Amino acid sequence: MDSFTAITLAVFLPFILAGILPAIEKLLKEKIGWYASAVAFMSLLLVAQAAPEIIHGGTIQKSIEWLPSMGINLSFYADGLSIMFGFIVSGIGVIIMSYSNGYMSKKEDLPRYYQQLLFFMGSMLGMVFSANTIQLFIFWELTSITSFMLIGYWRNRPMSVYGATKSLLITAAGGLFMLAGFLVLHAITGTFDIPTILQNESIRDILHSHELFILTLVLIFIGAASKSAQGPFYIWLPNAMEAPTPVSAFLHSATMVKAGIYLIARIHPIFSGTDAWFFLVSGVGIFTMLLAGFLAFRQTDIKGILAYSTISQLAYIMTMYGYTTHHEPGIGVAAATFHLLNHATFKACLFLVAGIVAHETATRDITKMGGLRKEMPITFIVATIGALSMAGIPPLNGFLSKEMFYEASVEMGSLLGSPYNILIPALAVLGGVFTFAYSIKLIDGIFLGKRPSKGLPEHIHDPSMVMLAPAIFLVGLIVLFGLVPSIPVHNFIEPTVSGILLQEAHLHIKLWHGFTAPLFMTIVTFILGILTYTQYSRIAEWQNKFNARFPWISVNYYYDAAVDNAKNVTSKFSNRMQPGPIKTYMLALLLLTITMFAIPAILLASSLLPSDLNFDIPLYEIIIYLFMIIAALGAAMLPRYVPAIISISGLGYLVALLFIYLQAPDLALTQVLVETLSTIIFLLAIVKIPQKFKEHITKATLTKDLLISATVASIVFILLINATQGIVPPFESLSHYFIENSLPLAGGHNIVNVIIVDFRGYDTLGEIAVLCLAALGVYNLIQSRSDDE
Amino acid sequence: MTTLITKTITKICLPLVILFSISLLLAGHNNPGGGFIGGVMFASVIALTYVVYGLDYIKSFFDPDWGNWFGFGLLLASVTAFAAIAFSHNFFRSAVEFIHLPFFGEVELVSAGLFDIGVYFVVIGGLLFIFKNVGDDR
Repeated sequence: MDSFTAITLAVFLPFILAGILPAIEKLLKEKIGWYASAVAFMSLLLVAQAAPEIIHGGTIQKSIEWLPSMGINLSFYADGLSIMFGFIVSGIGVIIMSYSNGYMSKKEDLPRYYQQLLFFMGSMLGMVFSANTIQLFIFWELTSITSFMLIGYWRNRPMSVYGATKSLLITAAGGLFMLAGFLVLHAITGTFDIPTILQNESIRDILHSHELFILTLVLIFIGAASKSAQGPFYIWLPNAMEAPTPVSAFLHSATMVKAGIYLIARIHPIFSGTDAWFFLVSGVGIFTMLLAGFLAFRQTDIKGILAYSTISQLAYIMTMYGYTTHHEPGIGVAAATFHLLNHATFKACLFLVAGIVAHETATRDITKMGGLRKEMPITFIVATIGALSMAGIPPLNGFLSKEMFYEASVEMGSLLGSPYNILIPALAVLGGVFTFAYSIKLIDGIFLGKRPSKGLPEHIHDPSMVMLAPAIFLVGLIVLFGLVPSIPVHNFIEPTVSGILLQEAHLHIKLWHGFTAPLFMTIVTFILGILTYTQYSRIAEWQNKFNARFPWISVNYYYDAAVDNAKNVTSKFSNRMQPGPIKTYMLALLLLTITMFAIPAILLASSLLPSDLNFDIPLYEIIIYLFMIIAALGAAMLPRYVPAIISISGLGYLVALLFIYLQAPDLALTQVLVETLSTIIFLLAIVKIPQKFKEHITKATLTKDLLISATVASIVFILLINATQGIVPPFESLSHYFIENSLPLAGGHNIVNVIIVDFRGYDTLGEIAVLCLAALGVYNLIQSRSDDE
Repeated sequence: MTTLITKTITKICLPLVILFSISLLLAGHNNPGGGFIGGVMFASVIALTYVVYGLDYIKSFFDPDWGNWFGFGLLLASVTAFAAIAFSHNFFRSAVEFIHLPFFGEVELVSAGLFDIGVYFVVIGGLLFIFKNVGDDR
């Protein structure tokens, strides 16, 4: 199998196999999670199949034409960056889905859960391998939607629904900004194809000197920041923790929130090397890093701490990708990429531990825990290694990338000169201090100290291997990457960095590299971190007080206000627009028809009726028309429902008769059948309501209605006269094309049918899809009403 | 509406109409007919049976899930549309083949016919799904 096929399959197999998951569930019952894990593993293997080519310095690129006229194709591009993300997504996917077998209760709706996880994984893989910005956008929004469904997995909990809505509103809206950015980018560069821009220096030069450069950058950055919970957009991530814990581990720590980081890395070669890039990306990054790290202190929910720590850690990565100068476009790229990989390992591991602890103790409140080290020794060791890696303790992988972060900060600071040479490293250390403090809090709060006398179940123990093994595997990676950094560096980091910097990269990362500035900064971090930890609860208390006193200094305050307002305004609007009686809607439609006709008629001031009218109507048609008029009058005037309905259907049959005279047998047949069926349905429904019109119509209303009906009828009459006399559209009729081509092109004599199923088959597909939706809609209406009763 | 006369007529009509609807479906490509008309005809006669004999009585021995019918139809129609891509043609490209069968003579096989069968099932499923739900509603 060639690499392109492998990647295409890796993206689409999860979708296809998730589609048949409900059928498989009938066979496997509650073991369905293992099937999902197997699917994820298959994607992992397929990504691995394509990997060697990338590691040896190549790229994979191929496209299938989709909308060639608009430059939009289904195309996949793989370089080191995509492959590394491919490994993270599918690898963590395998781990999470296996873990879920132990975590999710058998009573849950498992097919829905695993199906959405697989859909998510497929969308994520599709996004990282997209070569086309439009395709990237589609997969990007698909990840937002699947994330929405997974956060709201427990549909009956108001907080889940709140969190899900919040995440969808923020990330999907950010995605729209990104789309706008891509469109501006297309306007400047003339292409949607990412590799084309990457490989053409001239295009990038045009972009850099273009006046819309900053706008493009800002628009795309808003997309990335909203997805990765950076800057003011961070507020959705803490609420997303309402999702089942494996979902949080997968989407909201290791993969989906990294989509924004991926986007930043992907456009790094296009936009970096400019001041705007540094100030925007690094500026927002540093700000978020400090704020989120600081706010983590206040959290009492384990997952809350992890959420804020995720925001802060993502901000590290963002900051490092932002380090750029005109001569040195990629100062922090290697460090950022390495930290990205390490964060995926230790954060996923910590989330799994949080899931285990919550599963065993039935609470996530860290204030109610303590002293669990004796009862859960293995979990304790796993959690400690994960948290220490996050804190940056040697010899774990977190230490290495933290050192690189400090190194890059020092370099960036010194390149910029005073005062940045002090400021940037100092802020970096401060971020590290916060990280250190809350990492220690996780270990101390859950496992060390004294076991609280009440609030915890009596017997707490390590979970089964199903839940432990994935976490242990991740811990193995943490230690391995820390002790032998050359494995990840050679296989993932170097190809990725070459992909971003567009040149060969060779890195040497060692545990010990002498007494350097970063080492000094690490030591300072540890000392300050321990000092901060001694004041941990005091800081948290101060934050609580501050929050109670100034509730308006918070993004959430404005988000809630905006959403509440929007709800109020829209409900008022729709109440006014939809008062209920159908007559009101009809009136609006008819008045609109009248205006639409009246404006051009008055403006053009032409004679409405052609002068040489040619009415040559055979007698039998006139008779039919007379009957039709009588039937219509009957429908309008008969005082009871049943005769009125029969009048209407009589009118319908007369129309069918007319179709026969006009030589349209298909139409006539359809008309008769539809008329029959709708009459039956009408009659069935009507017997259940009172048999007399109760409404009393006043004379004024009657006159008004008559006037409107007469006007609309005359308009239709005038339009039809003009159309049939061939006056209004001076165009040739289309029918001769179909008459000539239906046999040679589609092999059918019945033109109507050939049009329906072949020439305009796409329309028909849409129509039958609408019919299906309508059927489901009716079903839901009826069901929801009987639920209310 | 449940007089002896309607009951008897319905009994006689039911198989005839179903056969006629199938013939409309198959003849559609060259003669008046097609999936939509055939489907509505099928749906009408089943609806008539429901009305004449009562929904509950019919359901006691004949109660298909019409939801599956339109699901299947939509799937069939979409698969026909996408199948062309598998043979590296455009989306929705149709194919025509003439074959000789004993007794039938020359028979025309059209991929659009499969699509029409999809339409047929969607129309039957959709209409009767609605019909049964409205009828079931108290």
